[in-house]
Amino acid sequence: MIESTTRRSATPKLGAYTALAGLGLIAALVVGRPELAALAAPFALVLILGLSLANEPKLEGAAFGLDRERVLEDDTVESTLILRNERPIGRLEVLLDLPEGLAAEKGNPRIISLGWHARRELDLALRCDRWGAYVVGDFVLRSPDVFGLLVYDWWLERRRPLKVYPRGEALRSLLRPLETQAFAGSQVPRSRGEGIEFADLRPFVPGDRVRRVNWRATARRGEPWVTETHPERNSDVVIFLDTFLEARHRDEGTLDLAVSAAASLATHYLREKDRVGLVSFGGVINWLNVSSGAVQVYRILDSLLDAEIFLSYAWKDIDLLPVRALPPQALVLALSPLLDERAVRSLLDLRARGFDLAVIEMSPVPFAPAGRDHLDRLARRLWLLRREALRSRYLRLGVPVVEWDGDVSLQSALEEVRRFKRHARVVHG
Amino acid sequence: MLAFARPTGASAEGLLLLSLGGSGVLWVGVGLASRWSAALAVGIAFLGAEQGVRVGLGSSTVDPWMPVYAAGFLLAAELAWWSIEPRVAAWSDLEVLLRRLLAIVGCCIGGAILAALVVLAAGAPLHGGFGLELVGVVAAVAAVVVVAVVARAPAREHVPE
Repeated sequence: MIESTTRRSATPKLGAYTALAGLGLIAALVVGRPELAALAAPFALVLILGLSLANEPKLEGAAFGLDRERVLEDDTVESTLILRNERPIGRLEVLLDLPEGLAAEKGNPRIISLGWHARRELDLALRCDRWGAYVVGDFVLRSPDVFGLLVYDWWLERRRPLKVYPRGEALRSLLRPLETQAFAGSQVPRSRGEGIEFADLRPFVPGDRVRRVNWRATARRGEPWVTETHPERNSDVVIFLDTFLEARHRDEGTLDLAVSAAASLATHYLREKDRVGLVSFGGVINWLNVSSGAVQVYRILDSLLDAEIFLSYAWKDIDLLPVRALPPQALVLALSPLLDERAVRSLLDLRARGFDLAVIEMSPVPFAPAGRDHLDRLARRLWLLRREALRSRYLRLGVPVVEWDGDVSLQSALEEVRRFKRHARVVHG
Repeated sequence: MLAFARPTGASAEGLLLLSLGGSGVLWVGVGLASRWSAALAVGIAFLGAEQGVRVGLGSSTVDPWMPVYAAGFLLAAELAWWSIEPRVAAWSDLEVLLRRLLAIVGCCIGGAILAALVVLAAGAPLHGGFGLELVGVVAAVAAVVVVAVVARAPAREHVPE
């Protein structure tokens, strides 16, 4: 037997029929005409039958399941609700209360009828409109009696977790950090060592291994020459997610863009054997130390699902982060709308500490209304100019800043950063 | 149809019946349009009042068609309330619809039989009097009070075993 709190309530019909039956019977007595009692009799009959036949509906068992617990954004999940009962329920209205971000394809709510000792399976397709970690399985059940005089409603909780990961885009090429790490990977560093990527030819010196002798060059020059190679190294990449503030309009916001971009970048970097970490920097600070492998993909994606804007006025800087969260020589990819001064200062601080930093600005401009009157438009122009000045400040410090609003591919934004880095020079001193 | 059933007659009485029936139809229309159950109840009451006035103005013999009128009233009321029930885009079993239709038809037939019994009882050779009338008044009031108490009972919450 399912234990739940059932609420019984009278419908307006019960009061109306009571009034009609009462009026008819009293009028029949007052006027002394039995015809009025005859008119009221059917209403009285409905009341008597309805109230005497109304039984509290009872479910013997209920189970709820999802065919998958991890899906991508815009995917569809099949859910099944199984109901068992002993006594018949003439009309049962079943509504799955869905959190924002999930929607039923069809069949919600559903009105069913259950017979004696029935077992009924209700299938429901759920469309995952937005990334996030959800708990699905809160049902609202409602069962009126046969004449609709009384209604019973109760909650049924059969909660199941559902993780909807952001659907990132495919990236052909990634940003490379200035320095690589010591572990093997897919990147070709500037240094030379054991590897398969050709670097240069040079004369043989004592201590060179024979297997490195380039026999064709040796034959041509008449003295032994060896081939130099680049080793294959990995790199450390830290995705810096600014969660102080976001610009949002209806279902879309800068945080959605940032999470989607972070998922794409993390997945692709990890695929290339790089070590990836995540710093969610905002009202609540979370970090994930750099690591590699398939498990790290899910760690990062799960952390991204927890990313949310938590309003805080406390001043925070990167000193709060542990050293391991920001390893030396790591490429820091900042995904930020550049709306909060604390995030802006922290990024400048990172640059000042010598991190290889690139900022992908989640443009809040599309989410900001143009303004209704002259003053609004003037304020907007000033705001845009201040943002332009902020970008110039980053560029002067050698930090590439690229504006991305989600309308163009993330790849093109990365290419823009790459073009900047190609011509930028690190200035020491 | 119920509202305008034989509303004609003497001009003043006809106008009274017509106004009662028209008011009933108007209130029912307002209730259906605005999904307002109180307006439906008032409309049905007006239609009942029209029938009551018609009966009162007519001959002293009991109208043999009264059970049909009573069933018609109930049918109209049931369909009207069905029309204003909260509507959601729900995927419903056909069985639910058939059950509802059967319930409405069944209670209309049952109501007509009950009304016929009332009409038959009214023709029984019983000699009324103050005592019998008092019993009737008390019974009617008690019935209404019981139903009203049930109708106004507050929402009950409990945890089933």
